[in-house]
Amino acid sequence: MGKPTSAMRARRLLALLPALRAGETLLVADLAARVGATVAETAADLTTLGYCGIPPFTPDDLIELDISDGEVRVFLGPPALEKPLRLSPREARAVAAALQSAGAGPDDPLVARLIAASGATGPDELARTVRAAVDPGGVTHVYRVVAGALERREKVLLTHLGGGRDACTRRLVHPHRLFNERGTWYLAGFCEQAGEERTFRLDRVGEAQTTGEPATVAENTAGLGASPDFIGLPVAEVMFAPGADLDPRDWPGTTFDRQNDGSVLAHVPTASAEWLARRVVARLGEAEVLSPPDIRAAVADLARMVASGLAV
Amino acid sequence: MTDPAERLVNLALLIASSRGGVSASGVREAGIGYPEGQDEQAFLRMFERDKDDLRAAGLAIVVDGGDDAERYRLDSASTPTARVALAPDEAALVRAVGAAFADDPAFPLGDDLLFALAKIAPRSAEGPPATSRLADESPEGQGADAATLAAAVGGRKRVRFEYTGAGGASRARDVEPFGLFFREGRWYLVGRDRDLDEVRVFAVSRMGALAPNTGSRKTPDFDVEPGFDVADFARLPFQYGPTPFEAVLRFSPDHAWRAPRLIEGRGSLEPDPDGSLTWRVQARSVDRLLRWVVENGPGVVLLEPERARARLCAGCSEVAARHG
Repeated sequence: MGKPTSAMRARRLLALLPALRAGETLLVADLAARVGATVAETAADLTTLGYCGIPPFTPDDLIELDISDGEVRVFLGPPALEKPLRLSPREARAVAAALQSAGAGPDDPLVARLIAASGATGPDELARTVRAAVDPGGVTHVYRVVAGALERREKVLLTHLGGGRDACTRRLVHPHRLFNERGTWYLAGFCEQAGEERTFRLDRVGEAQTTGEPATVAENTAGLGASPDFIGLPVAEVMFAPGADLDPRDWPGTTFDRQNDGSVLAHVPTASAEWLARRVVARLGEAEVLSPPDIRAAVADLARMVASGLAV
Repeated sequence: MTDPAERLVNLALLIASSRGGVSASGVREAGIGYPEGQDEQAFLRMFERDKDDLRAAGLAIVVDGGDDAERYRLDSASTPTARVALAPDEAALVRAVGAAFADDPAFPLGDDLLFALAKIAPRSAEGPPATSRLADESPEGQGADAATLAAAVGGRKRVRFEYTGAGGASRARDVEPFGLFFREGRWYLVGRDRDLDEVRVFAVSRMGALAPNTGSRKTPDFDVEPGFDVADFARLPFQYGPTPFEAVLRFSPDHAWRAPRLIEGRGSLEPDPDGSLTWRVQARSVDRLLRWVVENGPGVVLLEPERARARLCAGCSEVAARHG
């Protein structure tokens, strides 16, 4: 990331002001997280704030701080702007755009409140011009419950539809992290029914309920990337026919080897036979699973079910 | 010379703390960091930019008095007090989604999102454990160009760029940007190609040398067509192709809850007496329609057209035979 402009840095400094209450001792790392900066940048910002104030700039008119050992002690807070500034219209639009991906359309009450608080034009105008998700269907409830449970470290009860099942199953999940992959949100966590870590696509969750029961904490969430970790997953061999409509972006983590006859041998990492079976059947003959046998069987079963009209 | 960021903070504090407002000359004489010896016009231009920057940060600066006696103050009714009250789960959602996207270079409004979070749902150093990878190809490039385009859409400023089409040919485009949408890892611009006089969709990842018109920054270059909605151009995967036809699908009663999430506001959805939902939607590709039906199953049944049903059954029979 490049060096921030003066305007951006000033916004960062202004965002720090409300936290600087006289008598408080704060962790620089917490302040850094608050404004999305590094600890070093935030320490420099705090130093700059120590020079800020109002005329005539006597000691009583300046912000007085002591920064040492990763902490900042506040002796004298800002002479004004002690409360957070209101959302600017652009900031409200940014939050509204982010929430579009979690099912919040222009009619969502939260979006309407955000836009109204900023004094911006209505949420309809945003939805007509910028869509971070195309019409998400107005289902924020599941996302709110899951995010709340994750933050409070509580188990959450999900009604989830797996790709290979005809009915939803109830899952008691210890939420460990949320991640978004190409616009779709997933919850990773320990599933008590499965007895192992599982990933749940949130747009396939019908209902979510909090339980109030404490959840286990993931052993290591720090440094996890957004994508599922493909290392160590079972790998299926899939052969695509010559000329098959094949976009590598649709097959995350997959390697492709073009054969002499124009066909493509793909090595697809997957934790879910159901997921892969559904994708192979959807190709209607363009793709064939060569191995492992259990996924070949899952493909055959699903194809028969679809053909018989029982469970498409 | 005073750090410009320090000058901006001092200006914000001066305006916020002044009773009855402060004039431009009062700002200049306050010693808050404007260069000494600066001529009047240069000072006024710098002061104007500074006010714009502070307004972008959320300060509601209002002007009292006439041309000769303008005084600047904060609108106390809106600046610090217009807080957004969030329920705990709402705050958690804003924090999780916001933190994930604020750190994702492909999200074009990340800077504004970051400062919004600091105001309404501050995060701690520990979390939340939420991440995002919106774009799987050139996320930094797409995010930067989408940010430029979002600003051009908002300000209704023309943009120029080199565009490489699907066939590999590249040519310069001069476009009035109407809207921006995201689908499956890519940002797309919808706008009027001025040379063709047609509204087109452009993949942001195929753009190069993007340059917005920076002349007369505060004056829009064009009007958006009345009734424009960017969602009209963000079609479902099976809605691209030469010949349109109507498809009829049914969501079974146990799966009707998924329909609003899957149909993306397209076509018409009618309830049936048994609790199922019938969806009528325009399609343009049979292959893509069948793929969509299978991938989004179970619980989604294709009813029409019959030729597509026949192809689905035959294709599945072939798959079953090959894997059986």
